[in-house]
Amino acid sequence: MPRIVKTLAAAALFAALGAAQSSAEVTVLGWPGGPEETALRAVADTYNKTAADADKVNLIFFNRDGFFDKLAADLGAGSKEFDINLLATYALGRYAPFMDPIELPAAASETFSEKVLATMQYDGKQYGVPTDLSLHFMYYRQDLIDQLLSDDAWKAKYTEIAKEKMGKDLAPKNPDEWTWDDFEATAYFFTKSINADSPTRYGAVLQMKNLLFNIMVWHSTARSSGGNWMDAEGKVTVDGPGFRTALELYKRLYDAGVTPKDSTTYEYAEANAAFGSGQAATMLQWNAAFGDLDDPAKTPAVAGKIGTVAPPAGSDGRFTHIHGLGLGINAASEHKDGAKKFLDWLATPAAMEEYALAGGSPALSATIIEKVSGKRPDLVKLGNFAGSYGFVMNGGTAAKALSVYELQAKEFTAYWTGEKSLDDALAATAKGMEDLLKQQ
Amino acid sequence: MASAADLQLRERRREGAWLIAPMTLFLLILLGFPLVLDIIYSISKVGFETLRDPEIVGIGNYGGAISDPEFWAAAWFSFRFGIIVATAQVLIGLFLAIFLAPLLDTRPWLMAILMLPMMVAPALVGLMYRLILHEFVGILPYYLYLWLGDSPSFLGAQTAFNTLVTIEILQWTPFALLILYTAYAAIPNEIREAAAIDGVRGFATIRYIDLPMLMPAIGVTYFIRFIDSFRVFDNVYTLVGPGAGGSTTTMSIYIYRAFFRVGDIGLAVAASMLLLVASFAVLYLINRLTARRKPT
Repeated sequence: MPRIVKTLAAAALFAALGAAQSSAEVTVLGWPGGPEETALRAVADTYNKTAADADKVNLIFFNRDGFFDKLAADLGAGSKEFDINLLATYALGRYAPFMDPIELPAAASETFSEKVLATMQYDGKQYGVPTDLSLHFMYYRQDLIDQLLSDDAWKAKYTEIAKEKMGKDLAPKNPDEWTWDDFEATAYFFTKSINADSPTRYGAVLQMKNLLFNIMVWHSTARSSGGNWMDAEGKVTVDGPGFRTALELYKRLYDAGVTPKDSTTYEYAEANAAFGSGQAATMLQWNAAFGDLDDPAKTPAVAGKIGTVAPPAGSDGRFTHIHGLGLGINAASEHKDGAKKFLDWLATPAAMEEYALAGGSPALSATIIEKVSGKRPDLVKLGNFAGSYGFVMNGGTAAKALSVYELQAKEFTAYWTGEKSLDDALAATAKGMEDLLKQQ
Repeated sequence: MASAADLQLRERRREGAWLIAPMTLFLLILLGFPLVLDIIYSISKVGFETLRDPEIVGIGNYGGAISDPEFWAAAWFSFRFGIIVATAQVLIGLFLAIFLAPLLDTRPWLMAILMLPMMVAPALVGLMYRLILHEFVGILPYYLYLWLGDSPSFLGAQTAFNTLVTIEILQWTPFALLILYTAYAAIPNEIREAAAIDGVRGFATIRYIDLPMLMPAIGVTYFIRFIDSFRVFDNVYTLVGPGAGGSTTTMSIYIYRAFFRVGDIGLAVAASMLLLVASFAVLYLINRLTARRKPT
């Protein structure tokens, strides 16, 4: 046999062996470049130590930029390059047509609360294992609040300002007992242009940029006042008292100069910079910010002086927007059995415990949290708040949910900056939402 | 029967066609294919999930773009932005080109320093100013607070346009300076000397000698800067995004949002095709204007 034929035959054999080996593995497309990736790598290593060769998982990662659009294009094209892919609560409806619903093992209910499992549900079906959760904390300056609660002169001034600005008789309270009125009064008190003796320039820092993630933050305010996207019959209800109350609160605070002048261009990073400078007394922000803000090397002005509670109560109680990242099965996958085995294992208490210890942010049930709370104290509040106050807006997992957020961001920021009246902004939002949610 | 000269001409044309063929093929692949795809998408109902299977629906996307108030708001923002920025850049660039010419003639290395702003990627310029103008970490608000006790809102809904215009002018005026200085330096000195003998002095030299001869360069510079500013995306998007209520939505941001955020790819591509047509119209107009003023 000529040498060239032998060489080609050997190459073909190697290629076939390689193909057989790679086709035997389950490929997982994860969320790249953060603690989620680190944690997923750790649990995948553990899983692979005991899994059969055909069930071993192989991890791949895109760039974060445009991740969800690239994923949508791949899923839409029926890509078989991955068997398990990332899911996000607000994009569930977009991906559901290209994914297989799953039935989680009984152990999953030991690991997660029902509210947390619901972040991966669409149309009554479970589409993924919730691996990481995001929600909101009310951040405040513990040192300043301690003084406010103990200093008689400050207390008197607080009451005076609350009466003058809000027409209400209010006294300082522990942040864990705050209503939005208490938050508003505290924000006025710690604003230098209103209270010349305030140690901070601003009483709050609001994220008001025309950006969908800012609307998620604001939703915690709206939901606590009774606001929701739709009622039980699927009728759009944004033009109601809940949304109005919460929109007016932000507008009042912005107009009063309680939040920095450029707040209409602020998002996560800018708000953290303002709060981290020590010049803002409170901030409604994602739980993920705590680590950096409490790190003396990164934010020496406030590290060690920060308190966090769940967002204040409105007429309907306390609420925090929650959304999760999770992993589910690609409908075009050719290794669904192996994929299901990995997800079943991932939903067990042992796997999630390891995931948490490796840096992930899962919202775990109380019994699991106890085991990791020593090394991950932040997860205690995450789990408690998600279980007690977490919500997803009705329609928040719809196929066009992201577009609804975009629409609200545009209309509501127009109201906050005075470019539109409240009535016009809400009417345009309601109409746009009806069109978007009707298209499903 | 063809003469020897005709045959030679034909042969030269054939050679020319062969020589130009690789470039033509390259352009057809690089520009032609996306253009054809864009035309198909612009008349289709298509999203990320149906990129390979667009449904042809006619010219509805064009109608959708033209009847969308946000499209016109974005077009108006971009037009205003383009006109103001291009005018300012050409005027400042022209001023600097004429008045720095004696300095640049003797110290050409200064031009390299003046070009530095252009070398920074626009997206980085946006991020840079996001830091510079931030009330709590920015150097400008810091000194304003230190010296005046207060700092204005640089990026608020009422001030963002002016801030964006200023940043764009600061970054791209060197481009106008480069072209206009080169054109100015190319004007033969003999013409100015002849005019001087005829008694033309000072500003009259600029008015009657330099400016007429610079007009084609001014026209081209204005056109390039206008188109570049009209389609601005990077620095505006990284600095303020679409703005409160869409107040800083440029045409490029409108198209980007329709494409990536809303997933209405047909509408986005139709809007970009309209932008392409408008660009050609402006190019034609500028060409006509500058051609008329060419010195004979």
